[in-house]
Amino acid sequence: MSLELVVFAIASGLAIVSALAMVVVKTPVRSVISLVVTFFALAVLSILLAAPFIAAIQVIVYAGAILVLFLFVVMLLNLTKEAEATDRRPIQKLLGLVSVVALGGLLLGVTLRAGAPPVPAAGGLIPAKDEIPILGRLLFSDYLLAFEALSVLLLLAAVGALVLSKRRFD
Amino acid sequence: MSDATFALVATGAKILFVWVIALATILPNLVWAERRVAGMIQDRPGPNRVGPFGFFQIIADGTKFFMKESVTPLYVDKLLYNLAPWITLMPGLVTFAVIPFGATLPVTIGGVTREVPLVIADVNIGVLYIFAFTGLGIYGLVLAGWSSNNKYSLMGGLRASAQIISYELSMGFAAAGVFLAAGTLRLAGVVEWQQAHVWNVVPQFVGFLVFLIAAFAETNRLPFDLAEAEEELAGGFHAEYSSFKFGMFFMGEYANLIAASALMATLYFGGWSLPGVTFTGVWGALASVAVFFAKTIGFIFLFLWVRWTFPRFRYDQLMDLGWKFLLPLSFFHLIAVAAFVAAK
Repeated sequence: MSLELVVFAIASGLAIVSALAMVVVKTPVRSVISLVVTFFALAVLSILLAAPFIAAIQVIVYAGAILVLFLFVVMLLNLTKEAEATDRRPIQKLLGLVSVVALGGLLLGVTLRAGAPPVPAAGGLIPAKDEIPILGRLLFSDYLLAFEALSVLLLLAAVGALVLSKRRFD
Repeated sequence: MSDATFALVATGAKILFVWVIALATILPNLVWAERRVAGMIQDRPGPNRVGPFGFFQIIADGTKFFMKESVTPLYVDKLLYNLAPWITLMPGLVTFAVIPFGATLPVTIGGVTREVPLVIADVNIGVLYIFAFTGLGIYGLVLAGWSSNNKYSLMGGLRASAQIISYELSMGFAAAGVFLAAGTLRLAGVVEWQQAHVWNVVPQFVGFLVFLIAAFAETNRLPFDLAEAEEELAGGFHAEYSSFKFGMFFMGEYANLIAASALMATLYFGGWSLPGVTFTGVWGALASVAVFFAKTIGFIFLFLWVRWTFPRFRYDQLMDLGWKFLLPLSFFHLIAVAAFVAAK
């Protein structure tokens, strides 16, 4: 058993357990923390795929910034206990179950159909050559339109949030 | 000895050196140094009873931490309350894995000489790795504040995280200037570039100032220690912690301080290099390690000096400084550096 397999087993196990915990746990703050652990475990998997840049961005953006804002909201609203739904609608649980089965079947099907994984490039886990210049060049040439469109979308969202919060206080 | 075994042993030795020898000697002495420097600046002796110059004060302090009763308040979230000090301690410690602390060290075993680069992991994402773990360190402060079930603690936790998120942006943009100039994110590459050209502090003085101010905010040190603010928040996020758990927050703050100092020495002051000096051979490598530690200790002293010199900022002043001054400044600085690199 190679070292990579051990790391993969630990990281993927952690990802699955913490993702489950995120859904199951009753305290919202603990849910958010479980999600942080999930993102961290996914970042470890990215490193195993020789993509340390993706791993770092994953942790910085999702775990380090977005989920802190989640945590802020949960803490400031003082959601200590999950609000018990007063009107229980069994249809929601049924729909959830159907989606889980459908998604699981889809993933299983894709995984089973996929051929042998490509042989990883030589040079171990972390490629010696800088991957960031390559990524930067791709973003500003082949994927320029998507990149700029996303930037505009983010800017619109930021301006929109500002407008909405201003309106309430004026 | 095969190459693989040698690499394993060398990495183990480097980890041992950095964490056990360097950190375990600097960290306790820093607590002593802080109190002595405070005494010096405030024109009083400071702790001078235990050992020569009070040098063994840390043994007394440490024993106190261990011997005190560990009080856990009622109605805390036990899991998160106990987890928080560990999360806070982590980022300061893992940062050292990517910081190069010396030139290459030639090691001869059985007639074969191998060059050992004195950095534990020269990852090609360099400083992003450090930012990733600093980002995770926020959770320690927020969770400590929330799980303590105390309003002062919660305020402290919120202040700490808002402050760190705000200043992280300016810090990142300031650091980006360094990587633009060097053309790589590898910290070893940044040091090599500075050795070949000039220390980054000279062409990027503005970036250095932004980084320095942001580093004070990131480590929660005065004049930006609003998360603790004894007079307002009775200690803030760690108000409900005592004994060893409080000691871990304490150590975490100092570990972060050492990490920030080492990072500034590496990014802006040439790391282990000196202008006009090439470090070769075993003694050269050891000298470069000494140079690196001297620079780091210089920055640590600056942190202590500032703490006992400046009063605390108000919270709105802190946010104004971060968002309205440092962030635009770091933007313009980055654009200027990019224009300069493109024109060259």
